[in-house]
Amino acid sequence: MESLSDTLWDVVICGTGLQQSLLALALSRSDKKILHIDPNEFYGGAEAAFSLQDTELWVNRASAGSGGLFKSASIAKPEGTTGLSASRAYSLALAPQLIHARSTLLSQLVSSRAYRQVEFLAVGSFYIFKPPQESSQRPSLARIPSTREEVFSTTAVSAKAKRLLMKFMKFVLDYESSPQLEVWQPFADALLTDLLQQEFKMDAELQTYIVTLTLSLDGKISTKDGLAAIRRHLSSMGVYGPGFAAIYPKWGGLSEIAQVACRAGAVGGAVYMLGTGIKETETAEGEVKIQLTSGDTVKTRMLVRAGDSASDEMGITRLVAVIGSPLNSLFEAVVEGAPRPAVAVIAFPAGSLSTVSGKASEYPVYLSAHSSDTGECPAHQSVLYLTTLSTPDANATLNLALDAFLGTITEGQAPSVLYRLQYEQLAGSQRSQSEASIFTFPAPFLSLSFNDSTLQPVHEAWKKVMGDAAVEADYMTFADREGAVDDDDVYE
Amino acid sequence: MADSNTPKPSSSVKLVLLGEAAVGKSSLVLRFVNNDFQENKEPTIGAAFLTQKCNLPTRTIKFEIWDTAGQERFASLAPMYYRNAQAALVVYDLTKPTSLIKAKHWVAELQRQASPGIVIALVGNKLDLTSDGAGSGGDADGAGAEDSGDARKVTTEEAKTYAEEEGLLFFETSAKTGYNVTEVFTAIANAIPETSLKTARGPGASHTAGRTEEQRVNLNGPRDPNAKEGCAC
Ligand SMILES: Nc1nc2c(ncn2[C@@H]2O[C@H](COP(=O)(O)OP(=O)(O)OP(=O)(O)O)[C@@H](O)[C@H]2O)c(=O)[nH]1
Ligand SMILES: [Mg+2]
Repeated sequence: MESLSDTLWDVVICGTGLQQSLLALALSRSDKKILHIDPNEFYGGAEAAFSLQDTELWVNRASAGSGGLFKSASIAKPEGTTGLSASRAYSLALAPQLIHARSTLLSQLVSSRAYRQVEFLAVGSFYIFKPPQESSQRPSLARIPSTREEVFSTTAVSAKAKRLLMKFMKFVLDYESSPQLEVWQPFADALLTDLLQQEFKMDAELQTYIVTLTLSLDGKISTKDGLAAIRRHLSSMGVYGPGFAAIYPKWGGLSEIAQVACRAGAVGGAVYMLGTGIKETETAEGEVKIQLTSGDTVKTRMLVRAGDSASDEMGITRLVAVIGSPLNSLFEAVVEGAPRPAVAVIAFPAGSLSTVSGKASEYPVYLSAHSSDTGECPAHQSVLYLTTLSTPDANATLNLALDAFLGTITEGQAPSVLYRLQYEQLAGSQRSQSEASIFTFPAPFLSLSFNDSTLQPVHEAWKKVMGDAAVEADYMTFADREGAVDDDDVYE
Repeated sequence: MADSNTPKPSSSVKLVLLGEAAVGKSSLVLRFVNNDFQENKEPTIGAAFLTQKCNLPTRTIKFEIWDTAGQERFASLAPMYYRNAQAALVVYDLTKPTSLIKAKHWVAELQRQASPGIVIALVGNKLDLTSDGAGSGGDADGAGAEDSGDARKVTTEEAKTYAEEEGLLFFETSAKTGYNVTEVFTAIANAIPETSLKTARGPGASHTAGRTEEQRVNLNGPRDPNAKEGCAC
C-alpha cells in the first residue's frame, strides 16, 4: 500500500471529538482519502469517557496545562477501602449531554444508519431541589410536571398554578404564530421570567419550574431562547415513547456517538492514528503539508481540526461523583408503558444553596444522575454529574449541592461518595473558521442538552471537502451496508 | 423444539475479531454468517460490521460482529471496537507461529483495556492445512494447495495450555471447510454471563423482578407518528 507520505489525502481530520467524528461519518461513503488522527491516546476528544485509570491519566495532563479547554482537574477518594470496583467498570463522561428527541443529531444518526450501533436510554424526570423550610426538616425534590397529563394529575402545585401552566404550555407549542407572537415579541430579548410574570402572572416558584426546563446555566435566559428551549422540551415529549423528552446514549453519551461515527469512518476506509498530532502546517498551491508528531510528513487538500482556544465567556465547573447507591427511586418510570429511565436531572435554582460564607448560590447547579444502566458504573452504584458556571465558589457550591442532594435520599442509609472528580471546562470560540484549505471547528457548547448548532459546522466542513461533488440530499443519508442488518436467517 | 411457541428472550452481543493480517478473521465471519468461503479474500480495510443470530435452547443471541483489519497500519482502530464488547475472538493461523505471538499481544491488551467481563476465545484457524485437520480439503475437493501433508507450526498442546492459563475458550477451526466455526460462536454465546445480556435485568434492578422490561429506546421503531406535539396537546 501507499505509505502515509506518498498519499495525497483529500482530508486530514485532527481530533476525534464529536464534530470531527461526525465529519468522518458524513464522508464515510464518499471514497475520499481520509486520514483521521488524534494527538490523544483515546477517542472522543472533549467528549471522551474514561475508566478510572484513564481519568487519572487525563487529570494529570489537564493539571499539567495540556488539557486543552479543561483545567484545574483533581480527584478525591476517601481513605482506605473505597467500595470502588475495577477501573474499567466505570466510564465517566467528560461532557455528558442529554439529547432531546427532536434533535437533528438523532435524525442524522438514523438516516446515516449509525444509530444501529448505539443503545439509547430514556432521560426521565426533571426535579427541583427544595431547601427545607425549617432546620428540622429534610430538603426534598419536587418533580416538574412537563406534560399536560402530569400537570393535570400533580399534587405538587395549586389548582391555579395548574391553569397557568396549562395555558403556558399551550402558548409555547405554537409560539411562533399569531396571536402568541405578538404577546412575547416585546419581551424577546428581555428575561423569560419577565414574560412569565407579566403576561402569565406566575409566581416565583412557577417561574423557577419553567426556567429549569430550559436548563439555562445562568438562570437568566432570554424570552426568545427560553421559549425555543421549552418548546423543544415539550415537543420532544413522547416522540420515542411515552413519558420522556430526551435520551442518552449508553456508555458515556456523546463519547459513544463519536466512536460509532469513527467506526463508520473506518469501515469506509479512513485510516486512523491515535497518539499522533500536528507539529506544523505549511500551505502552498492548494495543498497543506503537515508535519505530524510521529515524524511523518503528509500532504492533504484539506485539514479539518478542533478549535481549542478559550474565549472570555464564562466556563463551567464540573463535579463527577460516584456514589454507593443505585438511587432506585429516581429512576422509576412515571408513565404507563414508559421505558425505565437511566438518567434523571435535578436542578438547584439560583439561591437555593447557601455557601460557607453564608452567601446564596449565584447560579443554578444542575445534577444529572446516571444509573448503572448507562454502563458508566457497576450495579448498585450511580454516577452524579454536577455542573455550574465557574465562579470562585463553584467547587464549594458543587460539593454543597452534592451533600444537599444526598440529604434528600430517604431510601436506605445515606449513600456514601466513593469518588469525586472535579474540573473546569473553558468556553471556547463559538464560530468555525474557514481558510483556504484549513477548517477549524468551534469549541463544544457547554450546555447540558445537545445543541443542534453543533451540527452546522460539520455540514460546512463536509461541503468544503466534497466541493463540486457535494449532493445536499445525500448528506448523512446512507443505506445499510450489506450484512449489517438483521435478516431473519436464524442460525441454529 | 418443544417450547418454540413461546418467544425466547433475545439479546445482542457485541463481538470483535482481532488477529494478525491474513489469519482468516473475515473468512471465519463469512463462514458463520453466509456459510461461504472465498479462496482469495481481500484484506479488510479498516473494519467491517455484520450481524448473525445464534439460537440457543433458552434464548436467541444476536451477534453484532466487528471484523477488524489485521494490517499493522490499522492497529489504532482496535480500541474503538473492543470498547464495550462482550466477546472477542482472537485468531491466529496455526501454520504461522508469529501469528500466535500477535494473538497473545491482543489477549493481553484485551485483559488490560476491554470490559472486565469480556469473553475471549482463542482460535487457531486453517486446520485444513494440517494432516490431522478434520475435514481437510485435500482429497475432498481436490483443491488443496498444501496437499503433501502437514503445514502445522503451532501444536494444539501449546495453544491450549496458554488458553487454559489465561482462561480463554479455545478452538481449532477451518473457515475453508467450516470445521468448528459455528461451535466457536455457540460456545461464546453460552459463555456470556446472563447478567451482561442487555435484555436481562441486572442485579441492580431487583424491584422489577419477574417482568422483562424493555429499556432500550428504539429510534426507528413503530412509534406514534402523530406524536408531533408530544403528549402535551
Ligand atoms: N486453507 C485455508 N485458507 C484460509 C482459511 N481461512 C482463510 N483462509 C485464506 O486466508 C486468506 C486470508 O483470509 P482473510 O479472511 O481475508 O484474513 P483476515 O484475517 O480477515 O485478514 P485481514 O483482513 O487482512 O486482517 C484468504 O486467502 C483466505 O482464503 C482456512 O481456514 N483455510
Ligand atoms: Mg479481514
